[in-house]
Amino acid sequence: MANKEVLDNASLQRALTRITYEIIERNKGGEDLVLVGIKTRGEFLAHRIADRLEQLEGVRIPVMAIDITNFRDDIPDHHDDLGLNQAERLNISEKNIVLIDDVLFTGRTIRAALDALIHIGRPKTIALAVLVDRGHRELPIRADFVGKNIPTAQNEKIKVFVQEIDGKDAVEIVH
Amino acid sequence: MKRHLILEDGTVFEGLGFGAPATTFGEIIFHTAMTGYQEIITDPIYDGQMIVFAMPVIGAAGIHAEAYESVKPAIRGMIVHDLAEVSVNRQRRMNLDRFLKQHNVPGLYQVDTRKLIRHLRETGPQKATIVDFADDHAVDQLVATVLTNKQVQNTATLKPYANPGRGRHIVVIDFGLKHGILRMLGDYDANVSVLPYTTSVDEVLTLDPDGIILSTGPGDPRSLPDSVLTLIRVLQTKAPLLGIGLGHELFALANDATLAPLSSEHHGMNHPIQEIISRQIFFAMQGQGYAVDNDSIDRKKLFVTYRDLVDGAVQGLRHREYPAFSVQFFPDAAPGPLEATAVFADFFETVEDYVEHHS
Repeated sequence: MANKEVLDNASLQRALTRITYEIIERNKGGEDLVLVGIKTRGEFLAHRIADRLEQLEGVRIPVMAIDITNFRDDIPDHHDDLGLNQAERLNISEKNIVLIDDVLFTGRTIRAALDALIHIGRPKTIALAVLVDRGHRELPIRADFVGKNIPTAQNEKIKVFVQEIDGKDAVEIVH
Repeated sequence: MKRHLILEDGTVFEGLGFGAPATTFGEIIFHTAMTGYQEIITDPIYDGQMIVFAMPVIGAAGIHAEAYESVKPAIRGMIVHDLAEVSVNRQRRMNLDRFLKQHNVPGLYQVDTRKLIRHLRETGPQKATIVDFADDHAVDQLVATVLTNKQVQNTATLKPYANPGRGRHIVVIDFGLKHGILRMLGDYDANVSVLPYTTSVDEVLTLDPDGIILSTGPGDPRSLPDSVLTLIRVLQTKAPLLGIGLGHELFALANDATLAPLSSEHHGMNHPIQEIISRQIFFAMQGQGYAVDNDSIDRKKLFVTYRDLVDGAVQGLRHREYPAFSVQFFPDAAPGPLEATAVFADFFETVEDYVEHHS
Protein backbone atom coordinates (compact mmCIF):
# COMPACT_ATOMS: atom_id res chain seq x y z
CA MET A 1 0.00 0.00 0.00
CA ALA A 2 1.19 3.50 -0.78
CA ASN A 3 2.38 5.80 1.97
CA LYS A 4 0.02 8.55 2.98
CA GLU A 5 1.54 12.00 3.33
CA VAL A 6 0.18 13.72 6.44
CA LEU A 7 2.50 16.73 6.49
CA ASP A 8 3.96 18.17 3.30
CA ASN A 9 6.99 20.40 3.06
CA ALA A 10 5.07 23.65 3.65
CA SER A 11 3.08 22.39 6.62
CA LEU A 12 6.19 20.85 8.19
CA GLN A 13 7.94 24.25 7.95
CA ARG A 14 4.87 25.92 9.45
CA ALA A 15 4.79 23.41 12.31
CA LEU A 16 8.45 24.14 13.15
CA THR A 17 7.77 27.87 12.90
CA ARG A 18 4.83 27.64 15.27
CA ILE A 19 6.80 25.53 17.76
CA THR A 20 9.52 28.20 17.66
CA TYR A 21 7.02 30.98 18.38
CA GLU A 22 5.57 28.96 21.24
CA ILE A 23 9.04 28.38 22.69
CA ILE A 24 9.52 32.17 22.67
CA GLU A 25 6.14 32.66 24.38
CA ARG A 26 7.00 30.13 27.08
CA ASN A 27 10.62 31.26 27.65
CA LYS A 28 10.53 35.02 28.01
CA GLY A 29 13.80 36.42 26.74
CA GLY A 30 15.23 33.03 25.81
CA GLU A 31 17.90 33.26 28.51
CA ASP A 32 19.37 30.01 29.80
CA LEU A 33 17.66 28.15 26.98
CA VAL A 34 19.31 25.01 25.60
CA LEU A 35 17.86 22.88 22.81
CA VAL A 36 18.52 19.16 23.05
CA GLY A 37 17.80 17.06 19.98
CA ILE A 38 17.34 13.31 20.25
CA LYS A 39 19.34 11.56 17.54
CA THR A 40 18.82 11.09 14.69
CA ARG A 41 16.08 13.35 13.35
CA GLY A 42 15.44 15.26 16.55
CA GLU A 43 18.95 16.68 16.20
CA PHE A 44 18.16 18.17 12.79
CA LEU A 45 14.84 19.54 14.03
CA ALA A 46 16.64 21.14 17.00
CA HIS A 47 19.04 22.91 14.63
CA ARG A 48 16.13 24.07 12.48
CA ILE A 49 14.44 25.58 15.52
CA ALA A 50 17.73 27.20 16.59
CA ASP A 51 18.04 28.68 13.07
CA ARG A 52 14.57 30.14 13.37
CA LEU A 53 15.23 31.60 16.81
CA GLU A 54 18.44 33.15 15.46
CA GLN A 55 16.55 34.76 12.55
CA LEU A 56 14.17 36.43 14.98
CA GLU A 57 16.40 37.26 17.92
CA GLY A 58 19.88 37.43 16.40
CA VAL A 59 21.17 35.06 19.08
CA ARG A 60 22.31 31.47 18.60
CA ILE A 61 20.75 29.20 21.23
CA PRO A 62 23.08 26.28 22.09
CA VAL A 63 22.06 22.94 20.62
CA MET A 64 23.14 19.56 21.96
CA ALA A 65 22.38 16.21 20.37
CA ILE A 66 22.06 13.13 22.54
CA ASP A 67 22.02 9.45 21.70
CA ILE A 68 19.74 7.69 24.14
CA THR A 69 20.49 4.11 23.03
CA ASN A 70 22.38 3.34 26.23
CA PHE A 71 19.50 4.53 28.38
CA ARG A 72 16.81 2.42 26.79
CA ASP A 73 14.77 0.21 29.11
CA ASP A 74 14.64 -2.69 26.67
CA ILE A 75 18.39 -3.19 26.47
CA PRO A 76 19.81 -5.24 29.31
CA ASP A 77 23.09 -4.18 30.93
CA HIS A 78 22.80 -0.70 29.58
CA HIS A 79 25.51 1.68 30.63
CA ASP A 80 25.44 5.42 31.03
CA ASP A 81 27.21 6.57 27.89
CA LEU A 82 25.64 9.49 26.04
CA GLY A 83 27.82 9.11 22.99
CA LEU A 84 29.15 12.64 23.56
CA ASN A 85 32.74 13.73 24.03
CA GLN A 86 33.51 16.45 26.58
CA ALA A 87 33.34 19.24 23.98
CA GLU A 88 29.89 18.18 22.82
CA ARG A 89 28.57 17.95 26.34
CA LEU A 90 26.98 21.28 27.31
CA ASN A 91 26.44 22.49 30.82
CA ILE A 92 22.73 21.99 31.37
CA SER A 93 22.59 22.68 35.09
CA GLU A 94 20.13 25.46 35.94
CA LYS A 95 19.22 25.74 32.24
CA ASN A 96 15.79 25.64 30.64
CA ILE A 97 15.93 22.66 28.32
CA VAL A 98 13.69 22.05 25.35
CA LEU A 99 13.99 18.39 24.41
CA ILE A 100 13.21 17.84 20.74
CA ASP A 101 12.22 14.66 18.92
CA ASP A 102 10.46 13.86 15.68
CA VAL A 103 7.71 11.48 16.86
CA LEU A 104 6.14 11.00 20.30
CA PHE A 105 4.72 7.47 20.57
CA THR A 106 4.97 5.28 23.70
CA GLY A 107 6.99 7.86 25.61
CA ARG A 108 9.83 5.41 26.32
CA THR A 109 12.38 7.32 24.22
CA ILE A 110 11.56 10.48 26.13
CA ARG A 111 11.93 8.69 29.46
CA ALA A 112 15.35 7.49 28.36
CA ALA A 113 16.26 11.02 27.25
CA LEU A 114 15.19 12.44 30.62
CA ASP A 115 17.39 9.85 32.30
CA ALA A 116 20.30 10.79 30.08
CA LEU A 117 19.86 14.50 30.81
CA ILE A 118 19.56 14.06 34.55
CA HIS A 119 22.69 11.93 34.32
CA ILE A 120 24.78 14.90 33.16
CA GLY A 121 23.22 17.75 35.11
CA ARG A 122 20.27 19.23 36.92
CA PRO A 123 18.33 21.48 34.54
CA LYS A 124 15.97 24.12 35.93
CA THR A 125 13.18 22.90 33.62
CA ILE A 126 12.77 20.40 30.81
CA ALA A 127 10.05 20.88 28.20
CA LEU A 128 9.27 18.56 25.31
CA ALA A 129 8.76 19.55 21.67
CA VAL A 130 7.78 16.97 19.05
CA LEU A 131 6.97 17.32 15.40
CA VAL A 132 4.31 14.60 15.57
CA ASP A 133 2.32 13.22 18.50
CA ARG A 134 0.82 9.93 17.36
CA GLY A 135 -0.71 8.81 20.66
CA HIS A 136 -0.49 5.31 22.30
CA ARG A 137 1.49 6.42 25.35
CA GLU A 138 2.77 3.74 27.74
CA LEU A 139 4.22 6.23 30.24
CA PRO A 140 2.84 9.40 31.87
CA ILE A 141 4.55 11.77 29.42
CA ARG A 142 3.11 14.60 27.36
CA ALA A 143 4.59 17.16 24.98
CA ASP A 144 4.58 20.91 25.66
CA PHE A 145 4.96 21.80 21.99
CA VAL A 146 3.34 19.69 19.28
CA GLY A 147 3.72 20.30 15.56
CA LYS A 148 0.82 18.05 14.63
CA ASN A 149 -1.36 15.55 16.45
CA ILE A 150 -1.84 12.55 14.19
CA PRO A 151 -4.14 9.87 15.59
CA THR A 152 -2.84 6.51 14.40
CA ALA A 153 -3.54 2.81 14.69
CA GLN A 154 -1.06 0.85 16.78
CA ASN A 155 0.21 -1.08 13.77
CA GLU A 156 0.77 1.95 11.56
CA LYS A 157 4.20 3.50 11.26
CA ILE A 158 4.92 7.20 11.14
CA LYS A 159 7.92 8.15 9.07
CA VAL A 160 9.46 11.60 9.35
CA PHE A 161 11.67 12.71 6.47
CA VAL A 162 14.13 15.57 6.89
CA GLN A 163 15.99 17.30 4.09
CA GLU A 164 19.40 16.79 5.72
CA ILE A 165 19.43 12.99 5.41
CA ASP A 166 16.23 11.97 3.62
CA GLY A 167 16.32 14.51 0.81
CA LYS A 168 12.87 15.93 1.58
CA ASP A 169 10.77 17.34 4.39
CA ALA A 170 7.60 15.36 4.98
CA VAL A 171 5.71 13.13 7.39
CA GLU A 172 4.09 9.98 6.05
CA ILE A 173 2.01 7.14 7.45
CA VAL A 174 3.42 3.77 6.35
CA HIS A 175 1.00 0.86 6.41
CA MET B 1 -18.83 63.52 -21.83
CA LYS B 2 -15.71 65.49 -20.97
CA ARG B 3 -15.21 65.84 -17.19
CA HIS B 4 -12.38 66.96 -14.91
CA LEU B 5 -10.39 65.77 -11.96
CA ILE B 6 -9.14 68.57 -9.74
CA LEU B 7 -6.54 68.00 -7.04
CA GLU B 8 -6.25 70.14 -3.93
CA ASP B 9 -2.92 71.53 -5.14
CA GLY B 10 -4.73 72.97 -8.18
CA THR B 11 -3.64 70.40 -10.76
CA VAL B 12 -6.37 69.54 -13.25
CA PHE B 13 -6.67 66.37 -15.34
CA GLU B 14 -9.11 65.96 -18.18
CA GLY B 15 -10.98 62.80 -19.04
CA LEU B 16 -14.26 61.31 -20.15
CA GLY B 17 -16.94 60.45 -17.65
CA PHE B 18 -18.29 56.96 -17.04
CA GLY B 19 -20.37 55.51 -14.25
CA ALA B 20 -22.54 58.04 -12.44
CA PRO B 21 -22.51 61.64 -13.73
CA ALA B 22 -22.26 62.90 -10.13
CA THR B 23 -19.84 65.37 -8.56
CA THR B 24 -17.65 63.69 -5.99
CA PHE B 25 -15.05 64.50 -3.31
CA GLY B 26 -12.52 62.23 -1.67
CA GLU B 27 -8.91 61.51 -0.92
CA ILE B 28 -7.14 60.36 -4.08
CA ILE B 29 -4.71 57.45 -4.01
CA PHE B 30 -3.30 55.17 -6.69
CA HIS B 31 -3.38 51.40 -6.93
CA THR B 32 -0.84 49.31 -8.79
CA ALA B 33 -2.64 45.94 -8.78
CA MET B 34 -2.87 44.39 -12.25
CA THR B 35 -6.00 42.42 -11.39
CA GLY B 36 -8.95 42.55 -9.06
CA TYR B 37 -10.48 45.99 -9.64
CA GLN B 38 -13.90 44.79 -8.46
CA GLU B 39 -12.51 43.56 -5.14
CA ILE B 40 -10.55 46.79 -4.76
CA ILE B 41 -13.46 49.17 -5.38
CA THR B 42 -15.76 47.18 -3.07
CA ASP B 43 -13.15 46.81 -0.27
CA PRO B 44 -14.31 48.98 2.67
CA ILE B 45 -10.70 49.98 3.38
CA TYR B 46 -11.11 52.47 0.50
CA ASP B 47 -14.17 54.10 2.05
CA GLY B 48 -14.35 57.71 0.95
CA GLN B 49 -11.35 57.51 -1.37
CA MET B 50 -10.87 57.90 -5.11
CA ILE B 51 -8.63 55.36 -6.77
CA VAL B 52 -6.39 55.84 -9.78
CA PHE B 53 -5.51 52.52 -11.41
CA ALA B 54 -2.01 52.08 -12.78
CA MET B 55 -3.17 49.10 -14.83
CA PRO B 56 -3.85 50.74 -18.19
CA VAL B 57 -7.07 48.90 -19.07
CA ILE B 58 -9.77 48.38 -16.47
CA GLY B 59 -13.18 46.73 -16.90
CA ALA B 60 -12.43 43.70 -19.05
CA ALA B 61 -13.59 41.27 -16.35
CA GLY B 62 -16.95 42.94 -15.86
CA ILE B 63 -18.59 42.64 -12.46
CA HIS B 64 -19.41 39.22 -11.04
CA ALA B 65 -20.91 37.74 -7.89
CA GLU B 66 -17.75 36.09 -6.52
CA ALA B 67 -15.68 39.24 -6.42
CA TYR B 68 -17.54 41.47 -3.98
CA GLU B 69 -15.60 42.47 -0.88
CA SER B 70 -18.65 44.27 0.54
CA VAL B 71 -22.19 44.65 -0.74
CA LYS B 72 -21.56 48.00 -2.37
CA PRO B 73 -18.54 49.99 -3.53
CA ALA B 74 -16.92 52.05 -0.80
CA ILE B 75 -15.01 54.35 -3.12
CA ARG B 76 -16.02 57.84 -4.19
CA GLY B 77 -14.48 57.74 -7.64
CA MET B 78 -12.46 55.70 -10.07
CA ILE B 79 -9.87 57.07 -12.49
CA VAL B 80 -8.54 54.84 -15.29
CA HIS B 81 -6.56 55.18 -18.46
CA ASP B 82 -8.70 53.05 -20.70
CA LEU B 83 -12.12 51.59 -19.97
CA ALA B 84 -12.90 48.20 -21.48
CA GLU B 85 -16.53 48.12 -22.47
CA VAL B 86 -16.49 44.52 -23.61
CA SER B 87 -16.11 42.01 -20.80
CA VAL B 88 -14.53 38.67 -21.59
CA ASN B 89 -15.18 37.01 -18.24
CA ARG B 90 -17.93 34.42 -18.66
CA GLN B 91 -19.01 34.90 -15.04
CA ARG B 92 -19.74 38.57 -15.46
CA ARG B 93 -23.33 39.67 -15.11
CA MET B 94 -22.79 43.37 -15.62
CA ASN B 95 -20.20 45.80 -16.87
CA LEU B 96 -18.27 48.23 -14.71
CA ASP B 97 -19.97 51.32 -16.16
CA ARG B 98 -23.46 50.10 -15.27
CA PHE B 99 -22.33 48.94 -11.84
CA LEU B 100 -20.91 52.36 -10.95
CA LYS B 101 -24.05 54.06 -12.29
CA GLN B 102 -26.23 51.88 -10.03
CA HIS B 103 -24.15 52.83 -7.00
CA ASN B 104 -23.84 56.51 -7.92
CA VAL B 105 -20.04 56.40 -8.16
CA PRO B 106 -18.46 58.54 -10.88
CA GLY B 107 -15.53 57.39 -12.99
CA LEU B 108 -13.15 59.10 -15.35
CA TYR B 109 -11.35 57.44 -18.27
CA GLN B 110 -8.99 58.53 -21.02
CA VAL B 111 -6.95 60.14 -18.24
CA ASP B 112 -3.15 60.32 -18.45
CA THR B 113 -2.84 58.07 -15.41
CA ARG B 114 0.96 57.76 -15.72
CA LYS B 115 1.37 61.50 -15.33
CA LEU B 116 -1.23 61.57 -12.54
CA ILE B 117 0.44 58.75 -10.60
CA ARG B 118 3.91 60.33 -10.96
CA HIS B 119 2.39 63.51 -9.58
CA LEU B 120 0.74 61.69 -6.64
CA ARG B 121 4.00 59.87 -5.88
CA GLU B 122 5.53 63.31 -5.35
CA THR B 123 2.70 64.89 -3.37
CA GLY B 124 1.24 61.93 -1.53
CA PRO B 125 -2.52 61.44 -1.22
CA GLN B 126 -4.58 64.59 -1.31
CA LYS B 127 -8.16 65.82 -1.58
CA ALA B 128 -9.64 65.67 -5.04
CA THR B 129 -12.92 66.13 -6.86
CA ILE B 130 -14.46 64.94 -10.12
CA VAL B 131 -16.56 67.70 -11.70
CA ASP B 132 -17.95 68.71 -15.08
CA PHE B 133 -16.20 72.09 -15.24
CA ALA B 134 -12.81 72.90 -13.72
CA ASP B 135 -13.61 76.49 -12.79
CA ASP B 136 -12.66 78.58 -9.74
CA HIS B 137 -15.91 77.67 -8.08
CA ALA B 138 -15.05 73.94 -8.21
CA VAL B 139 -11.57 74.60 -6.78
CA ASP B 140 -13.04 76.71 -3.95
CA GLN B 141 -15.54 73.97 -3.16
CA LEU B 142 -12.76 71.39 -3.02
CA VAL B 143 -10.60 73.51 -0.73
CA ALA B 144 -13.57 74.11 1.58
CA THR B 145 -14.52 70.44 1.76
CA VAL B 146 -13.66 68.64 4.97
CA LEU B 147 -13.29 64.90 4.50
CA THR B 148 -14.60 62.61 7.20
CA ASN B 149 -12.33 60.63 9.48
CA LYS B 150 -15.25 58.42 10.52
CA GLN B 151 -14.58 55.74 7.90
CA VAL B 152 -14.69 52.86 10.40
CA GLN B 153 -18.01 54.11 11.74
CA ASN B 154 -19.27 54.29 8.13
CA THR B 155 -18.35 50.74 7.22
CA ALA B 156 -18.26 48.55 10.35
CA THR B 157 -21.33 46.64 11.48
CA LEU B 158 -23.46 48.24 14.18
CA LYS B 159 -24.96 44.95 15.36
CA PRO B 160 -23.48 41.51 15.94
CA TYR B 161 -24.22 38.82 13.39
CA ALA B 162 -23.26 35.21 12.86
CA ASN B 163 -21.74 33.37 9.93
CA PRO B 164 -22.38 29.84 11.15
CA GLY B 165 -20.13 26.86 10.58
CA ARG B 166 -19.40 23.58 12.33
CA GLY B 167 -15.78 24.21 13.23
CA ARG B 168 -13.98 26.39 15.77
CA HIS B 169 -15.73 29.44 17.16
CA ILE B 170 -14.01 32.57 15.87
CA VAL B 171 -15.01 36.05 16.99
CA VAL B 172 -14.30 38.76 14.43
CA ILE B 173 -14.11 42.32 15.73
CA ASP B 174 -15.32 44.35 12.77
CA PHE B 175 -13.61 47.60 11.78
CA GLY B 176 -15.02 47.47 8.24
CA LEU B 177 -14.08 43.96 7.23
CA LYS B 178 -13.76 42.70 3.70
CA HIS B 179 -15.58 39.53 2.65
CA GLY B 180 -12.27 37.80 1.98
CA ILE B 181 -11.77 37.28 5.71
CA LEU B 182 -15.16 35.57 6.08
CA ARG B 183 -14.46 33.53 2.95
CA MET B 184 -11.17 32.27 4.41
CA LEU B 185 -12.83 31.47 7.76
CA GLY B 186 -15.46 29.60 5.78
CA ASP B 187 -12.71 27.47 4.22
CA TYR B 188 -11.96 26.23 7.75
CA ASP B 189 -15.69 25.78 8.45
CA ALA B 190 -15.32 28.20 11.36
CA ASN B 191 -18.37 29.18 13.36
CA VAL B 192 -18.03 32.95 13.12
CA SER B 193 -19.52 35.71 15.26
CA VAL B 194 -18.92 39.19 13.88
CA LEU B 195 -19.09 41.85 16.58
CA PRO B 196 -19.02 45.66 16.36
CA TYR B 197 -15.77 47.31 17.45
CA THR B 198 -17.67 48.96 20.28
CA THR B 199 -18.16 45.52 21.89
CA SER B 200 -17.11 45.10 25.52
CA VAL B 201 -14.62 42.54 26.80
CA ASP B 202 -17.43 40.71 28.61
CA GLU B 203 -19.54 40.43 25.48
CA VAL B 204 -16.64 38.77 23.67
CA LEU B 205 -15.68 36.43 26.51
CA THR B 206 -19.29 35.36 27.08
CA LEU B 207 -19.13 33.84 23.61
CA ASP B 208 -16.14 31.74 24.71
CA PRO B 209 -14.21 32.13 21.43
CA ASP B 210 -11.54 29.67 20.32
CA GLY B 211 -9.88 32.49 18.43
CA ILE B 212 -10.27 36.21 17.78
CA ILE B 213 -9.69 38.21 14.60
CA LEU B 214 -9.25 41.98 14.42
CA SER B 215 -10.50 42.82 10.96
CA THR B 216 -9.25 45.08 8.24
CA GLY B 217 -10.79 48.50 7.95
CA PRO B 218 -10.41 51.98 6.50
CA GLY B 219 -8.85 55.18 7.72
CA ASP B 220 -6.50 56.24 10.49
CA PRO B 221 -6.56 53.81 13.44
CA ARG B 222 -5.60 56.65 15.75
CA SER B 223 -9.04 58.19 15.21
CA LEU B 224 -10.71 55.27 17.00
CA PRO B 225 -11.60 55.50 20.71
CA ASP B 226 -9.10 54.21 23.30
CA SER B 227 -11.67 51.65 24.40
CA VAL B 228 -10.68 49.62 21.32
CA LEU B 229 -7.06 49.40 22.52
CA THR B 230 -8.18 48.39 26.00
CA LEU B 231 -10.35 45.68 24.44
CA ILE B 232 -7.38 44.32 22.47
CA ARG B 233 -5.07 44.40 25.50
CA VAL B 234 -7.45 42.11 27.36
CA LEU B 235 -8.46 39.86 24.46
CA GLN B 236 -4.86 39.05 23.46
CA THR B 237 -4.41 37.36 26.83
CA LYS B 238 -7.58 35.25 26.49
CA ALA B 239 -7.41 33.39 23.17
CA PRO B 240 -5.29 33.23 20.00
CA LEU B 241 -5.60 36.55 18.21
CA LEU B 242 -4.91 37.59 14.62
CA GLY B 243 -4.95 41.24 13.52
CA ILE B 244 -5.13 42.07 9.80
CA GLY B 245 -4.54 45.46 8.15
CA LEU B 246 -6.16 48.05 10.42
CA GLY B 247 -6.43 45.25 13.00
CA HIS B 248 -2.64 44.89 12.85
CA GLU B 249 -2.17 48.62 13.33
CA LEU B 250 -4.51 48.57 16.35
CA PHE B 251 -2.72 45.51 17.78
CA ALA B 252 0.55 47.50 17.53
CA LEU B 253 -0.99 50.57 19.18
CA ALA B 254 -2.47 48.43 21.96
CA ASN B 255 1.05 47.19 22.71
CA ASP B 256 2.57 50.68 22.84
CA ALA B 257 4.04 50.89 19.35
CA THR B 258 3.33 54.00 17.27
CA LEU B 259 2.30 54.51 13.65
CA ALA B 260 3.55 56.89 11.02
CA PRO B 261 1.96 57.76 7.66
CA LEU B 262 3.95 56.22 4.79
CA SER B 263 5.63 58.72 2.50
CA SER B 264 4.68 56.43 -0.37
CA GLU B 265 1.55 54.44 0.38
CA HIS B 266 1.34 50.76 -0.55
CA HIS B 267 -1.68 49.86 -2.62
CA GLY B 268 -0.91 46.88 -4.79
CA MET B 269 0.61 43.45 -4.81
CA ASN B 270 4.08 44.01 -6.23
CA HIS B 271 6.14 44.27 -3.05
CA PRO B 272 8.12 41.22 -1.98
CA ILE B 273 7.47 40.45 1.70
CA GLN B 274 9.75 38.29 3.81
CA GLU B 275 8.72 36.00 6.62
CA ILE B 276 11.70 36.61 8.87
CA ILE B 277 11.68 33.32 10.76
CA SER B 278 11.86 31.16 7.62
CA ARG B 279 13.47 33.74 5.29
CA GLN B 280 10.74 32.91 2.76
CA ILE B 281 9.74 35.62 0.34
CA PHE B 282 6.25 35.95 -1.07
CA PHE B 283 3.84 38.49 -2.49
CA ALA B 284 0.54 39.63 -1.02
CA MET B 285 -2.06 42.31 -1.49
CA GLN B 286 -1.26 45.47 0.44
CA GLY B 287 -3.40 48.50 1.17
CA GLN B 288 -1.85 50.76 3.74
CA GLY B 289 -1.35 54.43 4.32
CA TYR B 290 0.28 53.92 7.71
CA ALA B 291 3.01 51.69 8.98
CA VAL B 292 4.17 50.67 12.43
CA ASP B 293 7.21 52.74 13.38
CA ASN B 294 9.99 50.18 13.68
CA ASP B 295 11.84 52.12 16.39
CA SER B 296 8.74 52.40 18.56
CA ILE B 297 8.35 48.64 19.04
CA ASP B 298 8.94 47.53 22.61
CA ARG B 299 10.98 44.36 21.98
CA LYS B 300 10.00 43.05 25.38
CA LYS B 301 6.39 42.91 24.18
CA LEU B 302 6.50 42.45 20.42
CA PHE B 303 8.80 41.23 17.72
CA VAL B 304 8.72 41.74 13.97
CA THR B 305 7.70 38.68 11.93
CA TYR B 306 7.36 40.05 8.38
CA ARG B 307 9.06 42.86 6.50
CA ASP B 308 8.48 44.63 3.20
CA LEU B 309 11.69 44.17 1.19
CA VAL B 310 11.16 47.32 -0.89
CA ASP B 311 11.18 49.86 1.93
CA GLY B 312 11.76 47.72 5.03
CA ALA B 313 8.31 48.57 6.45
CA VAL B 314 7.04 46.34 9.26
CA GLN B 315 4.52 43.85 7.79
CA GLY B 316 3.86 41.63 10.77
CA LEU B 317 4.16 41.50 14.55
CA ARG B 318 3.86 38.89 17.22
CA HIS B 319 3.44 39.14 20.96
CA ARG B 320 6.19 37.69 23.10
CA GLU B 321 3.91 36.30 25.80
CA TYR B 322 0.63 35.43 24.11
CA PRO B 323 -0.43 33.57 20.96
CA ALA B 324 -1.31 36.92 19.38
CA PHE B 325 0.02 38.08 16.04
CA SER B 326 -0.80 40.41 13.20
CA VAL B 327 -0.10 41.09 9.54
CA GLN B 328 -0.23 44.40 7.72
CA PHE B 329 -0.81 42.79 4.31
CA PHE B 330 -4.05 41.04 3.32
CA PRO B 331 -3.70 37.25 3.53
CA ASP B 332 -7.19 36.55 2.19
CA ALA B 333 -6.02 36.89 -1.42
CA ALA B 334 -9.08 38.78 -2.60
CA PRO B 335 -7.61 39.87 -4.84
CA GLY B 336 -4.00 38.84 -4.74
CA PRO B 337 -1.53 35.98 -4.79
CA LEU B 338 -2.59 32.90 -2.81
CA GLU B 339 0.80 32.53 -1.12
CA ALA B 340 -0.14 34.57 1.92
CA THR B 341 -3.20 32.48 2.82
CA ALA B 342 -0.86 30.36 5.00
CA VAL B 343 -1.37 33.05 7.65
CA PHE B 344 -4.87 31.61 8.17
CA ALA B 345 -3.42 28.10 8.38
CA ASP B 346 -1.03 29.42 11.07
CA PHE B 347 -3.95 30.97 12.92
CA PHE B 348 -6.08 27.81 12.87
CA GLU B 349 -3.15 25.62 13.92
CA THR B 350 -2.57 28.01 16.81
CA VAL B 351 -6.27 27.78 17.66
CA GLU B 352 -6.18 23.95 17.62
CA ASP B 353 -3.14 23.98 19.85
CA TYR B 354 -4.78 26.42 22.24
CA VAL B 355 -7.99 24.38 22.45
CA GLU B 356 -5.92 21.23 23.06
CA HIS B 357 -4.04 22.82 25.97
CA HIS B 358 -6.86 24.81 27.56
CA SER B 359 -9.84 22.50 27.62
